[in-house]
Amino acid sequence: MMEKVLTDIIFLPFVAALLLGVLRAPLGWLRLGALLSSLGVLALVLAVTAGFDPDGGMQYMRHLPWIANYGIAYFVGVDALSLVLLLLIAILIPLLYLYMWHEKRKGYWYNMMLLQTGVTGAVLSLDLILFYLFWETMLLPVFIMIGRYGSGDRQRNAMKIVLMTVMGSMSMLLAILYLGYSYFAATGGWSFDLENLSTLRFSPLTSVWLAAGFLLAFAIKIPLVGFHTWMAPAYGSSPTPAVVILSAIMAKLGAYGIWRFGYGLFEPTLKLYAPFIMALAIIGMLYFAVRAVTENDLRRMFAYASGSHLSLIALGVFVTNLYGWGGSLYFIATHALSSAGIFIMIGLLYKRVGSISIGALGGLAQQAPRFALFFVFFALSIAGLPGTGGFVGELLIIVGAFKADPLIGMFAATTMLAAMLYVFWMLQRTVFGSAGACSSACRDLDARELAMLIPLALLLLVTGIVPSLFTPIFEPQLTAMLAMLGGAR
Amino acid sequence: MMQMLLQALPLAVIFAGAFVMMLLSRTRTFGLGRFNLVAVAFLAVSFLLGLLQYGGSAPRLLWQGTFGPAFIVDDFARLFDLMFTAGAMLTLLINTDYFRSRRYYNGEYFALILFSVFGMMMLAHTNELVSAFIALETASLSIYALVGYHKNNLISSEAMMKYLVLGSMTGVFFMLGTALIYGAVGATDLTAIAAFMQHAGEGEQTMVIVGGTFIIVTILFKIGAVPFHSWVVDVYHGAPYPVTMFMASTFKIAVFAIALRLYLVDFATVQTVWTPVLQAVTVLTLLGGSWLAISQQTVKRMLAGSSIVHSGYLLIALTSAGMGSQVAAPAIMFYLIAYFLSAVGAFGVLSSIASQSRRQMTYEDFKGFADRHPYLALTMAVFMLSLSGFPSTIGFLGKFYIFSGAIESGQLLLAGLGILTAFISVYYYFRLIAMMYFYPGEGEAQKLRVNLSSTLIAVMAVLIIWGGIGTSLIPFVPGADGIIDVAQQAVAALAVPTP
Repeated sequence: MMEKVLTDIIFLPFVAALLLGVLRAPLGWLRLGALLSSLGVLALVLAVTAGFDPDGGMQYMRHLPWIANYGIAYFVGVDALSLVLLLLIAILIPLLYLYMWHEKRKGYWYNMMLLQTGVTGAVLSLDLILFYLFWETMLLPVFIMIGRYGSGDRQRNAMKIVLMTVMGSMSMLLAILYLGYSYFAATGGWSFDLENLSTLRFSPLTSVWLAAGFLLAFAIKIPLVGFHTWMAPAYGSSPTPAVVILSAIMAKLGAYGIWRFGYGLFEPTLKLYAPFIMALAIIGMLYFAVRAVTENDLRRMFAYASGSHLSLIALGVFVTNLYGWGGSLYFIATHALSSAGIFIMIGLLYKRVGSISIGALGGLAQQAPRFALFFVFFALSIAGLPGTGGFVGELLIIVGAFKADPLIGMFAATTMLAAMLYVFWMLQRTVFGSAGACSSACRDLDARELAMLIPLALLLLVTGIVPSLFTPIFEPQLTAMLAMLGGAR
Repeated sequence: MMQMLLQALPLAVIFAGAFVMMLLSRTRTFGLGRFNLVAVAFLAVSFLLGLLQYGGSAPRLLWQGTFGPAFIVDDFARLFDLMFTAGAMLTLLINTDYFRSRRYYNGEYFALILFSVFGMMMLAHTNELVSAFIALETASLSIYALVGYHKNNLISSEAMMKYLVLGSMTGVFFMLGTALIYGAVGATDLTAIAAFMQHAGEGEQTMVIVGGTFIIVTILFKIGAVPFHSWVVDVYHGAPYPVTMFMASTFKIAVFAIALRLYLVDFATVQTVWTPVLQAVTVLTLLGGSWLAISQQTVKRMLAGSSIVHSGYLLIALTSAGMGSQVAAPAIMFYLIAYFLSAVGAFGVLSSIASQSRRQMTYEDFKGFADRHPYLALTMAVFMLSLSGFPSTIGFLGKFYIFSGAIESGQLLLAGLGILTAFISVYYYFRLIAMMYFYPGEGEAQKLRVNLSSTLIAVMAVLIIWGGIGTSLIPFVPGADGIIDVAQQAVAALAVPTP
């Protein structure tokens, strides 16, 4: 039974959506079905986590022939890296369903379910074509959600995000095909299996452009500075659940991809790219922070903040020591929690006030104290308040960066300071100060809203106060991977 | 003798059907519905006969005593036969509503369709250049007439004139090429030419190469490759919707049938001469087609422009096949199947909309389409995704095979360019999806009219998804894997020497 569990996790939401669609479920059934499917996934993921062996490498693998002539297989498995992302997705989606509980547009629910299948499949795939399939198809629901249910210049922004991410994926596809062919040339049989392909050796020039194919896709997804022009418009136009998925999950898949496929396939070449990407990451951290300070729209502000932090994560991925890697993975998880929290809060705020422009808000603390409490907590957790998970992650990355090079470490530390700056300035103008748009009509949080925010807040606190609960899950694997890199050197 | 007759039966049924339709077309008692039924019946019989014969048997010449080596029966041709008859049936069935709503349709329409199907089938079976020319012209002439079928419509007549004049011009090149080849070889059957080329010295080959080039020009014109593409958009636009659908789904495929046979069997030894030319044409076709597709405002013209790009992908595979890729020739077959499904579906949706309204169908007209016709919009989105090569559709696997073939034959730049144009195509295909889904529709959502055409369109959409992700784990249902097996088997038949 357990060897099928990953398949169930991937396809449960999809099957649920299909069934509900065929039955033309009324709204009540639909949202109940969506919630139950996501809770089912959560239960399965927790079961996987409980049975996970940190020293065991890739687990729960399943390998079925799909297009056998070309060695394309349905090949899934989970290791510590993917487990972190898997847990995140499983935890966040039910909370998002709670957020959109009163959402009446049915397509919205279907898209969310399909999206869950897409992102989960991408995280668990170990066959490159299968990975590409999920990587691309998860874009469709986002496209529809932004273009159909978004706000502002949504049509244009939806097109923009699709074109930019597809541009990245196409370059990745070319590299994937070349890899598959190289395996064919070397062995006489096609394969797109990550393990098989990682045994291939290329000339430096070839592997430079192959790696570039993959890195372009990941750089756009993260997004690194220069590849980021879709980010603010997309975040600005997306409905809240899509923003959460974009920043909390899909952007992280970029970093995950560098780990899984970058280090898995072209480790030596990655060292050539490292200085450039680290430079981009540093520029990004600072540039996005500056943009965040000057942004008046809350959602765009946190979009830039998220860009700044994702650049930090990218930096950590390229700081090849245990601090850098452990910090990045930790920060991937905690940043997802806090950015989910803050974007949900912004969504709630918009529902109440009808505006998320910083200048128009003010005096939240007087009108809605509980709301303000959570708002401040999540904002501060974004800024890396000690005691929240974000702090641990950022600190580890910064320590790792210092170990690699003190100069890089200093730049990394600046991000934290900059975050403090824009978060405090924003808080001062929205939560405190005189009452602005949020007048007496401002409702405080109700039970449903608390039910989705409290788990996020608790998780952030637990990850912040007792990181030793979580690090043993992934440290053995990261140590082993780093040791292998050391061996390769 | 009996066995020969059996082998020829799928063609013979269509031929007989065409004459029957022609004779019937003057009767006043027959309504369009009944014409349709009879035509589909002939096609269906031919389809089933072809299906029963498909698979396994060694290639053999048809009535060698009478026709010489003119016609050959092998799985390669049989697979194409199946596509032509299926395409014609789908054209007729999906458009039942369409030509009921247009007064200018009458019995000849069905005769013309059957004649052109017969020509295309002949083209797939032909093993000799003169019969190839006859087949090509049989198919083309019927199509010229069909394009101008709406006599009182100026755009339609203009399209026909343009197509007729240019098409006949380039058709002559085929004959000229054949004559030159005959001059050199003393025969026009492919086996003899291939044998000649293998043993001829360099000086003797020249005339065959020049003749072959003329023939290639005709083929490139018929598939709309740049720079012979000037007719495509106008003709697709001017032709009635069902005819456009028929052309896109079957005629283009038929030309590739002869192109593949010529290229793989006949001229295999001098591919080094043509490969650079074809590569140049491929680059032009990909870029020119993309440009045409982007710049269109009506969906029909966009699909016409993009059909040029799809010819470009197929040309990539053709050059790869010439450069020794094992993957490429089956890739062409697979891509043709994929394109067949997607194009028939897309044009089918268009003509089923056209049967209900008289709009031009620009992008703007599709605003809010998803709210007005949720199911049609969903299937149209599937067709667009497949045409753009999005994963989880059969179109993706088609591109996958073509690009891996290009990489296998070392044409990295062409593969890169193909991927670039695929990226561009995301823009114009997704633009339609965006129009359908991103704007609120005025008025109530219309209930789905469950009739033959909507059912067929839905079946095509399901096939497209299944062809992209289908698994062979389910017993008795072939998965995505099965289709490439069929394609490989068909191409393998070309390599078997005929007795």
